[in-house]
Amino acid sequence: MKEVNESVLQEAANKLMFSLKDDEVQRLLIEFKHIIKQMELIGEIENVDKVEPMTFPFDVTNSFLREDKTSEPLKREDALKNAKDVVDGQIRLPKVVG
Amino acid sequence: MNYLSLSLVELHNLIVSGKVTPEQLVKDSLELARKDNNNAFEYICEKEAIEEVKNLDPKLKDSIFYGIPIVIKDNFSTKDIPTTGSSNILKGYIPLFSSEVALRLKKAGAILIGKTTLDELAMGGSGTTGHLGTTFNPWDPTHQHLIGGSSCGSAAAISGGIVPFAVGSDTGDSVRKPANNAGLVGFKPTWGRISRYGLFPFATSLDHVAYFNRTVEDAALTLNVLAGRDEKDASSSLVPVVDFVKNINDSIKGKKIAVIKEIVDSINNKTIIDAFNKSINMLRDNGAIVDEVSVDIKLLKAIYPTYIIISCAEATSNNANLDGIKFGNRIEGDSFEQVMINTRNNGFSELIKRRFVIGSFSLLSENANELFIRAQKCRRLIVDAFNKVFENYDAIYCPASPSAAPLMDSVSDTLSNEYLIADNYLAYGNMGGFPSITLPIGFENGLPFGANLTAKPFDESNLLKIANSLEKATGLSSLVAGKEK
Repeated sequence: MKEVNESVLQEAANKLMFSLKDDEVQRLLIEFKHIIKQMELIGEIENVDKVEPMTFPFDVTNSFLREDKTSEPLKREDALKNAKDVVDGQIRLPKVVG
Repeated sequence: MNYLSLSLVELHNLIVSGKVTPEQLVKDSLELARKDNNNAFEYICEKEAIEEVKNLDPKLKDSIFYGIPIVIKDNFSTKDIPTTGSSNILKGYIPLFSSEVALRLKKAGAILIGKTTLDELAMGGSGTTGHLGTTFNPWDPTHQHLIGGSSCGSAAAISGGIVPFAVGSDTGDSVRKPANNAGLVGFKPTWGRISRYGLFPFATSLDHVAYFNRTVEDAALTLNVLAGRDEKDASSSLVPVVDFVKNINDSIKGKKIAVIKEIVDSINNKTIIDAFNKSINMLRDNGAIVDEVSVDIKLLKAIYPTYIIISCAEATSNNANLDGIKFGNRIEGDSFEQVMINTRNNGFSELIKRRFVIGSFSLLSENANELFIRAQKCRRLIVDAFNKVFENYDAIYCPASPSAAPLMDSVSDTLSNEYLIADNYLAYGNMGGFPSITLPIGFENGLPFGANLTAKPFDESNLLKIANSLEKATGLSSLVAGKEK
């Protein structure tokens, strides 16, 4: 497992499109210490790595497909209602190429 | 008389007999919401509720929700009504559609009077991390004890006597824990039983629609309204819906109930244990067979870390769309990347950022086997262990929490059994999708506390029957803060 340190956490934050202040990183390092210790408890469980990962509470099998009907769930003007900067039916962002 | 302190059944009878009108109820409820000093509300539907009640269809008069003022947690989309998830990143966001839960309640005649506060984006259990600050527990006018979360505002609104019903969501214990702290019935039906369409996703494999009532019978009546397949939510179940109220008063003679020894042993509070033991005797007096059953303590201690890793990882992915560009509180920058960074820096609290980093770190290819994948494997072992108990028992019964509402500044040893098991074990209900209900069983220093009953998937009828029998025996129903019982 990757070592948990300040630069690894900052890097993770940057990938998530936000930044962490120094004191936030310090608090996160403490939290990670707790989590890693708690995860060690899981590592001690016999057979934990011998079972399949569970991704949902229980298996659900459906034997049908929904009708393939077209519909218009959202009109363009509605879809843009919550965007802050709209021009000519499109969301405006800072220029990428000058 | 404050009619709003009554149960749904009692209020319905008064409405039907003409002793109180929906207009009066809505007016009174709005007034109480305005006066609320527990920070329960993100938004009060002043105009919308008045308009709604004016146009109430009299044909709905037989519905239990006809003319009933309700609140909904602010992570459920409500068309044309601001919905923030108690996060600055969604300040000003107005949904274009309503959640299925909001629609079904509206169709049943309920009147939405407000959207309630939550721990930011439902990621927290204290009721202190929403963007409007701490939500307080109506049972404690000194504001020193937590109400718990994340469905804090909904719990405060019903336990404070503002509404007789409140919608929440439950990913780890976000309805069932505040129910413990606020003297309420908190019910999380089976995963898939109620449509999640329009509920802001936190951790998709664990998220459940859940809600607060004042009585178990009300919880059953509510499920009759909310349960059932919804084409808009692919994870909503096709399992047939029955009438959950029909047999609720049947005897529980012969029902087998398991008390998990290791969970009870992890609780140090004598008042809780004494009340719990007393309640076991009540179940036995009512004909149930109650046995002490063991579950591997290593698995019980693993519930919390398993929950944290899975929920943070899923949350990281689910909330990647919160960038301020299509919706939300956009903060300008020199490039589109900088717009996203500024928006997310400004919009998320430190707690949320920490959770996302934990989730992202767990998902890194170098770490996944030891963190995310291992947590998913451990989830299977945990769920298998409880399913094994359900092979021989109708329900599992344990105290819902190690204490009544804890003090705001209480600190826990995060490796202790009390923290890892007693305070956090309820998440097993989310991991297995089990229906799970918390109801009051006692008081300590004027603060209520509860116990929890959980059953196998889709066995809500049995679960509600047992809970109803217990509630009748304790006599602790329709609790409202500040009112003697």
